[in-house]
Amino acid sequence: MSGSERIPLSRREGGSKVLPELASILYQFGTNAAFLLLSALGLIVILGMMNIINLAHGEFMMLGAYVASFAVHRGIPFPLAVILAFFATGAFGIVLERLVIRRFYGRELGALVTTWGISLILAQGALLLFGPYMPPIPIPGGAVSEGVFSFSVYWLILIGISIVLVVALTLVYRATPFGLQARATMQNPSIARSLGIRTGRVYMLTFGLGAGLAGLSGALLAPATSIAPFMGQQFVAPAFITVVVGGGANVIAGAVGSSTFLSLIETPVSLTLGTFYGTMALLVMALLIIRVLPAGISSLGARLRPAVAR
Amino acid sequence: MTDSENFPASPGEIEPAQPSAPCSGGPTRRGLIQGAAGIAAAGVVLARPNIVRAASETPVKVGFIEDESGNLSIYGIQKLHAARLAVQEINDGYTLAGGPVGSGCLGTMGLYSPTPPTLTSGPGAKLNIINDGGTPSEHAIVTADTEEILIPSGEKGLLGRPVDLVSSDGQSNNTLWQQLARRMIQQDKVDVLVAGFASAEREAIRPIVDQRKQLYFYTNQYEGGVADGYTFCTGAVCEQQVIPVMQYMVEKFGPKIFTIAANYNFGQLTAAWVRSFAPVLKAKVIGEEFPPLEVSEFSSVIAKVQAAKPDWVMTLLVGQNQSNYYPQAAAAGLHLPMASTVNMAQGYEHKRFTPPSLANMHNAVNYMQEIPTKRNQDFVARFYKMFPNDPYLGQMAQNTYFTIHLYAKAVRLIGTTDQEKVRRTLEAGWAIEAPEGTVFLEPATHHASHYIRLAATDEKQQISFVREWPMIEAWWLQRLGVNLVRHPEHKQYTPQEDPFFKMFG
Amino acid sequence: MMRMLQLLNGPHDLGRGRGFWSGMVLLAAAFLAYPTIASSFSATNVAYYLLNIPMALGLSLLWGYGGVLSFGQVAFYGIAGYTYGIVAGNLQDFAWGTEAGVLAALLAAGLSAAAFGYFLFYGRVAAWIVPILTLVLALLLATFLGLTAGYQWRVGDIQLGGYNGMTGIPALQIGGLTFQDYAFFYLVVAIVAICYVALRIWVNAHRGQVLMAIREDVLRTELLGYDVRLEQLRVFVIASVLAGVSGLLYVQWGNYITPSAMGLQQAALPVIWVAVGGRDSLLAVAIATFLLNQLTYILSSGGNQSALVIVGALLVAVMMFAPEGIIAGLGRLHWLHWLRARRRAVPSGPASSGK
Repeated sequence: MSGSERIPLSRREGGSKVLPELASILYQFGTNAAFLLLSALGLIVILGMMNIINLAHGEFMMLGAYVASFAVHRGIPFPLAVILAFFATGAFGIVLERLVIRRFYGRELGALVTTWGISLILAQGALLLFGPYMPPIPIPGGAVSEGVFSFSVYWLILIGISIVLVVALTLVYRATPFGLQARATMQNPSIARSLGIRTGRVYMLTFGLGAGLAGLSGALLAPATSIAPFMGQQFVAPAFITVVVGGGANVIAGAVGSSTFLSLIETPVSLTLGTFYGTMALLVMALLIIRVLPAGISSLGARLRPAVAR
Repeated sequence: MTDSENFPASPGEIEPAQPSAPCSGGPTRRGLIQGAAGIAAAGVVLARPNIVRAASETPVKVGFIEDESGNLSIYGIQKLHAARLAVQEINDGYTLAGGPVGSGCLGTMGLYSPTPPTLTSGPGAKLNIINDGGTPSEHAIVTADTEEILIPSGEKGLLGRPVDLVSSDGQSNNTLWQQLARRMIQQDKVDVLVAGFASAEREAIRPIVDQRKQLYFYTNQYEGGVADGYTFCTGAVCEQQVIPVMQYMVEKFGPKIFTIAANYNFGQLTAAWVRSFAPVLKAKVIGEEFPPLEVSEFSSVIAKVQAAKPDWVMTLLVGQNQSNYYPQAAAAGLHLPMASTVNMAQGYEHKRFTPPSLANMHNAVNYMQEIPTKRNQDFVARFYKMFPNDPYLGQMAQNTYFTIHLYAKAVRLIGTTDQEKVRRTLEAGWAIEAPEGTVFLEPATHHASHYIRLAATDEKQQISFVREWPMIEAWWLQRLGVNLVRHPEHKQYTPQEDPFFKMFG
Repeated sequence: MMRMLQLLNGPHDLGRGRGFWSGMVLLAAAFLAYPTIASSFSATNVAYYLLNIPMALGLSLLWGYGGVLSFGQVAFYGIAGYTYGIVAGNLQDFAWGTEAGVLAALLAAGLSAAAFGYFLFYGRVAAWIVPILTLVLALLLATFLGLTAGYQWRVGDIQLGGYNGMTGIPALQIGGLTFQDYAFFYLVVAIVAICYVALRIWVNAHRGQVLMAIREDVLRTELLGYDVRLEQLRVFVIASVLAGVSGLLYVQWGNYITPSAMGLQQAALPVIWVAVGGRDSLLAVAIATFLLNQLTYILSSGGNQSALVIVGALLVAVMMFAPEGIIAGLGRLHWLHWLRARRRAVPSGPASSGK
């Protein structure tokens, strides 16, 4: 129903137009995937490592954006503000974990309801404290053009940053003592504890890391959004879909796989049929994937390489 | 009640009731003016005896529902504060100039202008020369800008009673809206209900309003078409905004239009207006895109616009998520001229987004706080004196403000808050001097004519008003033959019911 | 009949014995008498607090008794509401039009739940995915219905109405009686009472026991020869039909429904009611639903901007300090004291009066 007139993509006068269109499709695909991945990153860390569905995830992103906006408008350069947002939101996450979340280990559904309550408090609290919006952050970088299309440099950087983040996360979990302890705790907390790993500390740091990553993503996406109390809601649905499709076997690989896969579906559909069908395709695909691969895309990798999957 | 109330003007500046005087030229309809004055005079006679018996101390209750929390609070709080200002002014003994004028037209404004409108050609007074909206013409109409619109009402409060604003928070939740509307009508027994931001909220409470025959004002700009005997819509509608802005854009930038509209009622219907009126203006909609309200990442929309190469883009985006389009498009190097009917005037995007996201944006608005006229700057000063920390005073807030004053004037004239009688009184056809300019409430359709200005932003997102239309009627329901005075009905028309729109799909 | 009464008085909910049931009868009588002292506005308002109870009871059954959390019960609430609006709206002029609407609405809720539940339970998805997928279903429906603004989205004479919703939904008529105002209030009270009694019998009967066994240990229940998938699907359908009952009553109440009835905010509400009340007690859930609906209304009608903060804080506090739920916690405390007192008084026999 939407869009009675659509622009046929294939309307080309000559072969020289192919390259720009290819670049445009790649760019759209990249931004879609980066958006999904950034939305989901913090959620994935907390869910994958602690089995807690954090419904306040969107509000953590909002906090990150608020911190960044606050910092930028006090003269702090944007990259520094993003790092500040990471640490501030991470610290907030740690406090929250100590005060509230720690009571819910082993009671996942309880945690789900509690984090929903926290999200209500944070969003409406931000409205009451800071008013209906925060001053915006200008989008850094200009645009590069290719044929009729032009692309935002900042989004290109974001695509790069999301790749860097995934690599860094993988390294943290594979190559650091914390990563080892975290993986041990995730696989079997009681054995980990008996081996002398302070699982409480691991959980605390993991929650802090997840919250910090959400804050970081919020700050990174802040220039492209309006910074407002209820901005978190827009990230919740894409983040959850990415996580569900990714599955829990290997959360990081799952997230990369599912954000790539979902944007592979969404980009061509929205390009040819319109944004509405793109969104619908995303949701329907998520349902289908769950039916075919109940444990998510990452289970595919686990099946192929059972020994290295974790 | 004083005469200056019924023949409002800055007190002492004009003698009341000189019906033929203002029509000394210009496109006025003398007969109508005289008729209007006749009704107004009758109003004086009717009103006087009532004053004597109205001395009760029970307050007049103005029911008010807006979203003070939740997603839409950015608009709701503005409206609430404007309503508080209006109620405060009524209680302090002030009213806006204006009065019943009959069926009305542009010329009726002469009734309370210090100088009558005249037709001149060539250069005139700077501020008052207004292009008539189309191609530059020989003639220009000079309208007078009544300097002082806030005048003493002759009493503190309303009919000797204080006015109470009974306000509730709808929390952007339709069910709560229904509950609150019922409470206002059945329990608080409000004398008038002023409520509603989103069309969904209005549609949620309208059945309740109709069932209880409640006098109801909807003060928002919206997609148009509500024909309801108990509802008065005082905001601007499609025909008042879409066509002027398109006219200007086609003339200035070219005929190829790309529409990006929110995929819900307002966006779809407004896009239908754009599509259908493009051929009339010798323009063409070369592409349309309807992103859902939930979408907040716009790279594919931007690519489509770039591929289509329009002369300008019509953006009918609604809500927090969708306003992300602007910074994203600017960052992607899409710097086409933009037009809209929603942005800036309500959600002050030009203040919230850093330049150049909202640069080169055009919107036909009936109000923005930047309007430079003295009457508006006085109003803005009064508002910020009462609410110094508010971020913006927008279109819907102004509509709410003059609507509450308009209600008070009607009550004062008929001398009772009886809802049926107040409704009939409002159906006399009223002009009121709002901060935007003169607003005329049309009896047959319960909609208002507005003073429309084309607001344009520069590189730094500073507003300037590049063209003005002193009065545009809400003519579409008239075209459909709606006459609520003679044939009460309770429905919302859609463009599909008009054969004109069918021609364009 | 005796068997039914025994089941009704069974142990899997708060409150047993003669004293308790006398109290319940009194409560029902109080509700029935309420319209004699209340204005039609108050009665309609109280009816609204009550009409959400069937959905909450369904979720309590699913989550508290069955251990399956659904975050998207509002999807079936909406499906029933919209279906009734379409069917009853089109058949308005026929004698049994509204009744046909009721039937169609409940069928639609049940069938769609069965189809969706098949994906969930026969796909054996992990427990934590169910809430997310049900939420996605609700959001999907809300998104889809929000896009049906155009004139072409019509079923018969009824427009779906997009984001602005479907208006003018007719009230239920039986013979010459239209259920509005007081009549609607009685209808709601009756339906809530029936739902509560029926569910209480159900959880104490064999199927209920199986359900609780699944909650405690899926594998063991399966080894005992029960088809866990079928049992979960069955209870999911029951819960969804109950959500449909609430949806039906809601459109009777407001003559109106919008896609936002299935939005993110609304989706969370049933979970909040059930969690605050105490998910494994039907009675506690019913009470909490009633009180929380009233609380939300009172907070917001007072123009209080912190309503959402208060609801959120309440939720966090309950989950932290009374994870069994406030009402259920209080109730258990009370019955425990009562039992102890009784045991001391009559040392010879067990205190239960039912079994």
